[in-house]
Formats: sequence, C-alpha cells, structure tokens
Amino acid sequence: MRSGRIELGDVTPHNIKQLRKLNSVIFPVSYNDKFYKDVLEVGELAKLAFYNDTVVGAVCCRVDHIDNTRRLYIMTLGCLAPYRKLGIGTVMVEHVLKICEKDGNFDNIYLHVQVSNEVAIEFYQKFDFEIIDTKKQYYKRIDPADAYVLQKTIRTRKS
Amino acid sequence: MLLYQNMIIRESGKMKDALDHLITHEHQIPDKLAVTELKACINLELDNLKEARKYYWELLDRNPENVGYYQQLEKSIQPKDTQERMKIYRTMAEKFPRAQCPKRLPLNFLTGSEFAEKLDRYMRPAIRKGVPPLFVNLRSLYDNKEKLKSIEDIVLQYEKCLLERSCFDETESMKESPTVLLWTRCYLAQHYDIVGNTKLALEYIDKALEHTPTLIEAYMIKARIYKHGGNIVQAAFWMDEARSLDTADRYVNSKCAKYQMRANEIAKAERTCGLFTREGSLASENLNEMQCMWFQSECGRAYKRLGNYGEALKKCHEMEKHFEEITEDQFDFHSYCLRKMTLCAYVRLLRLEDSLRGHHFYFTVAKLAIECYLDLYDKPLSDGNKDSLASTDNLSEKDLKKKKSKQRRAAKKAEIQEKGKDSKDVNQKNEGSEENKLDADTLAKVEDPLSEAVKFLKPLQTFCSDNIETHLQAFEIYYRKDKLLLMLQSVKRAVKVNPTHAKLHECLVKLNKKVTSSQNLEESVVEVMKTEMKPLFGGLDLLDFNNEFLNKHKFSLPHQLAGAAMMYLLEPSKQSEAISIATSLGEDMNERTIECKRALLLPLLL
Repeated sequence: MRSGRIELGDVTPHNIKQLRKLNSVIFPVSYNDKFYKDVLEVGELAKLAFYNDTVVGAVCCRVDHIDNTRRLYIMTLGCLAPYRKLGIGTVMVEHVLKICEKDGNFDNIYLHVQVSNEVAIEFYQKFDFEIIDTKKQYYKRIDPADAYVLQKTIRTRKS
Repeated sequence: MLLYQNMIIRESGKMKDALDHLITHEHQIPDKLAVTELKACINLELDNLKEARKYYWELLDRNPENVGYYQQLEKSIQPKDTQERMKIYRTMAEKFPRAQCPKRLPLNFLTGSEFAEKLDRYMRPAIRKGVPPLFVNLRSLYDNKEKLKSIEDIVLQYEKCLLERSCFDETESMKESPTVLLWTRCYLAQHYDIVGNTKLALEYIDKALEHTPTLIEAYMIKARIYKHGGNIVQAAFWMDEARSLDTADRYVNSKCAKYQMRANEIAKAERTCGLFTREGSLASENLNEMQCMWFQSECGRAYKRLGNYGEALKKCHEMEKHFEEITEDQFDFHSYCLRKMTLCAYVRLLRLEDSLRGHHFYFTVAKLAIECYLDLYDKPLSDGNKDSLASTDNLSEKDLKKKKSKQRRAAKKAEIQEKGKDSKDVNQKNEGSEENKLDADTLAKVEDPLSEAVKFLKPLQTFCSDNIETHLQAFEIYYRKDKLLLMLQSVKRAVKVNPTHAKLHECLVKLNKKVTSSQNLEESVVEVMKTEMKPLFGGLDLLDFNNEFLNKHKFSLPHQLAGAAMMYLLEPSKQSEAISIATSLGEDMNERTIECKRALLLPLLL
C-alpha cells in the first residue's frame, strides 16, 4: 500500500461542520449541539484527522472528575470506512495517550464501546485497554443497547 | 532607465540596435532576468535562432514552468516532426523531474497511442496526489474528440481496477490509497458534466461523496454540475454546503455568493459576502468601496432578472464610477513615476489607461446597462407599479408571490442602505451629495433611456470593437432610435467580426424591413442603403433570405431560433410554423445548451 500523509488538525468554528458530518456518518448515535459547543473549548482534546489533506476522522475527549480521580474520557474516536486500517486511528489514540503523559495528572483513560463492536474492542486492547464493566441499556436507539467500558490505567494512586 | 531606452529602440523597430545596446549596458542593468528575456526575444526576432535557443534554454533552467519559454524555444528550434518536438520536453523532464510543464505540454500535440501513454503517466501522479484542478488542466484537450475519448477510456479503466484491487491497472502490485478512488470519481463526474451527461456526472459525484462526505471540492463539483444542468437553485444550495464546511475559505465563499446571485438570492448572497467584509458596515456597501466588480456585476444582473431595473442600473453606475476613479488615480502616478524613474512601468500604465474601458468588466457592465435601458425603453415603468404587466401575466401565483416578497426584501435592503448612507452623510457631507445621484428609483425613471444607453455604448465601440455583442447592442439601440445609417454601420461592423452569428441575422432582417417600410426618407439615405444592403443580402428578397438562412443552419439551434423568430416577424400568419421550427429539438442539433433551451420560450411568447 502506498502510504498517505496522516496529520492531525485543530477543530475550529470554521471547520466544525466537517466534524458534524463525520460523526453523522461514522457513528450510529447523533450528538447534540452542546457536544459540538464543548468540543470547541477543549483544545488538544479534540482533533480532526487528515489523510492526504482530506478530513477523514476525528477524536473528541473530555476530562471527568469522579470520586477524586481525574479521568480522560474518549467521547468519540472514528474514521470513515474507506480509510480504516491505514493507521489513522492509531495516530489519534497515540495523540490522546501523549496528552495524558504530558499532563501527568490523569489516573486513567476510558471509553464506551457497543458490545457487538469487536473490531473496536480489539483495536483498543492493542493499546492495553481492558474491559472493566458492562453498562446495560447504555444506548437508547441502537441494538444491541449494551456497552462495555474500556479503561487503560495510567497510574495507580498511592493510598 | 536603460531598459526604457532599450524599449524605445525596440519599438522603433531597430532590433539590431536594441541588441547591441543591451549587450553594451548589460552589466549596468540589475534585472538579469529581463536582460536574458530580451536577448532571447530579440535574437528570435532577428532570426538568430541559434542564439535565441541558447537563451531560452538558459531561461528554462531558471524556470522550467514558463509555458511561454517553451513556445519560444520551439520557434527557435523549429522541430521538423513530433519526435523532435518531443525531444525538447524529454530533455527538460529528465533535467527537472518535478516540473509539470514538460509533462503537460506534449499532450497538446501528441496523438493516438503516444498521447494515451503520456496521458496515463501524467494523470496517475496527479490523481494519487489529489490535484483538484487536474480536470481544468486537461480541459483544453477536450476540443479534440479523439483525445476526449482517450481520456474517458483511461479514467474509466482506472475506476474499474481501483474497485477491483485498489490499483490503477492489472499489473501493479502496490495498492493505492483510498483517496485515489475518490479523486478518480471526482474526475469522472467533471468529465461527464462537461460532455453534457448530467445524470452520469451526478451519479459519480454522489458516489464520491458517499465515499468521503468531507471532501469540500466534491461539493463544489456537485454544485457546478447542477449549474451546468440549469438548476441554479440546487447549485447554490450545494455551493453553500461546500462553503459551510470551511467557513475560512474565501474562494468558496465568493463562489457561493456568486451562485446565490445567479439564483437571484440577492439578500442571501450579500449575507454570504458579509462573512468576509469589514464588520459593522453593509456588505454591498463595503464591496462597492473595495471596487469588487464581480460581485456588483452579478448583483446587477440578478436585479435585472428580477425586473428591478433601478437597482441594476445603480450597480452599473457604481461600476462605471470605479472606472472613472481608476482613470483619475493615474494622476498620482505621473509625478511619482517620473520622480522614481520607473519609466517602463509608467509607459505600461499609460497604455493600460488608454484602453481601460476595454476591460472585460467594463464590457459586462456596459452590456448590462444597455440591456436595462433598452428594456426600460420598451416597457417604461409606471409609477407605483413596478411589475411590468407582460411578465406578470406569465407568472404563476406562487412565483408572483415570491417575486413580490423578493422585491419587498430588496426594497427593505435599499431602505437600510439609505439609512446607512444617511449616517455616512453626517460623517462625510461632501460625498453625500454625490451618493444621492445614484438613487435606484430615479435611475429607473430615466427620461431618455436610449441616450443613456449610448453613453455606455461609446467606450465599447472604441475598445471592444472586435466583440460582436458590441455591435449587436449598438444595433438594438439605433433600431429603436430609427437611425438607419447607424444601424447599417453596426451591422456592417458585426458582419466583419462574425458574419454567421445567429443574432446578426435578426438584425439584418429587422434593418431590411425597417428600410422598406420607412417612408419620407431622404434621397441620399435611400441610395446609400440600397447599395450597401445589396451585398449583405446577396440580392435575395427578405423571405428568401430568411428561408435560405434556415436551410443553411439546419443543425444549429440558435440559428433556427433566430430564423423562426424572423419568420414570424415577416409573416405573422406563419406563427405556428415558426413555433414548430423553434421547438423541434433534433438530436443532431449543435449547441443544445441550456441557454438555448431557455431562449426557446421567447419565440413561443411572440
């Protein structure tokens, strides 16, 4: 396979509609306006993936504080069908991991995956994500509605 | 200074002296590129082919992408056959593997299998790289039917193989990236669009968008397909979609505004432009200050289509003022250029000013203004009722409502504009009085539209005399003024430009009819008309003349339309026959363009 150029770029008010378009094609879930408003505020946590100068994927994260832990939640990470298996997803995950490393203050990274999505589960397992939980009826309008919670531990807190 | 001296010597025709002068002073002239270019060009002029060749090779080493150098080099080498010609480009391609010109230019003269092979080698890297204007680069080859077919075959083959095994052909083993299929489909869409197969073009572009819905270029292509297909409203919609995907792109923004204007969505277009104009002021006003003429001419045309002649004329006069300002601006340069001794540039400027109104934009605006004035002459506006009755009858109620609301919107806009002006008046009182001159309503209620039209016509006759439209417009004006001799002059000038133009035929017939039906003409005028018209009509009587015209241009829709319209004009009893000629749309007709299909409606309404 001839290699293409993979680059990450910022999400800005100018190209936010690209992100909307991507997500509407890639994910069976639709995201509300607040999602896109927030995405504009998170800086490096939201990125568009360019392949040969065309937007083909995106990753959006946010920071969660739960029970004294600081966690990075990957809200969406995906790529258009014809561009899978080209290493674009890996570039995006590595970008997220690097943020955690640089920040140094995250306990873990986690995300939800539809239980039927084997490709995705396998993909994240490559990066040492583990299934730690199953959320029953997590999705509202899609079948199966259950989701796994995948998590990668960054550091273990000393008690 | 020395270059200026040289320029004078050259323009006095003394090429040899110019060359000597150049060689003597070479070391004193800092612009080395200009010196080499001049040496090359003068040597070529003097038939010193060997010398010229040397300099052009030198120039190409500096810039292997200058098409002009290649043309001149060919002139100096005078290759005997294609093979020798090819040698030039092969040498350059080896020397500069990344240069595009040596790869593209041979496609112009190669044919057959050689063409196909080189084309293949030209296209693959471009598609791989995703060069959006690849189609535009190859567009000029489409005039050649054989090459067109060759291109189509190659790209279809690409698509087939890419679908099967992600490669350009069967023998390749390296798989291509997914963008290659995407760009191939985009190319095919543009290809079928230009060939006139709108349906297939849309199919391909939709496939491309299904593949990658984030490719802005693909939306633009889709818009263009709809535009060429005649559905300008859809075109504007898709261009807006393209625009919304990257709102920082001024090019797409402007395109979008233009399409919206074409779709008569003036308010929308102004809003679109407003995204890029200075904040706090009205977009149209700001664009006027910026002398943004494409916007103003499109806007004027949209207003005219909507029947809002006042606003249309206002745009015309605004643009006419730009040209005046540009002329005035040159005064600053007289002293400046002389002080700085930039004489070459100064002379270029003076020459530009001399033919300023020959500019394409001036032509557009003058044509628009003349058309407006002619329409106003034919159907003067009555107070309070801006809708001309004739057009109202033909509109369905819905359209009428739309039109009314559009006019309301336009009126509202004008009001806002008026207000904007008022506030400006406070700031700049001087300008205020001048602005008042351009009131849309006053412009539309002009006393003598024809003499206003002539004002726009005059510069056209001086500077755009090789454009047939100039003379056709002139004819229309003088036809309404009953100026037989001036009509004759226009017609004769038009004949010189293009004797077979369809519209010209209408002018000829109308002129003839007018002459024969006019009474109380001066003896001398009659005499002149008689002698001058004889060669124009080949001694035929008017009916025969028209019939022969219809026969001669059997396969050209515009000509058939013109002939049919004239048939009705000459013999109103033959209306049904005229209509049947006008509406018979044979498969073998040339130029079955959308414009023509629109024009079909006109004779029907006779």
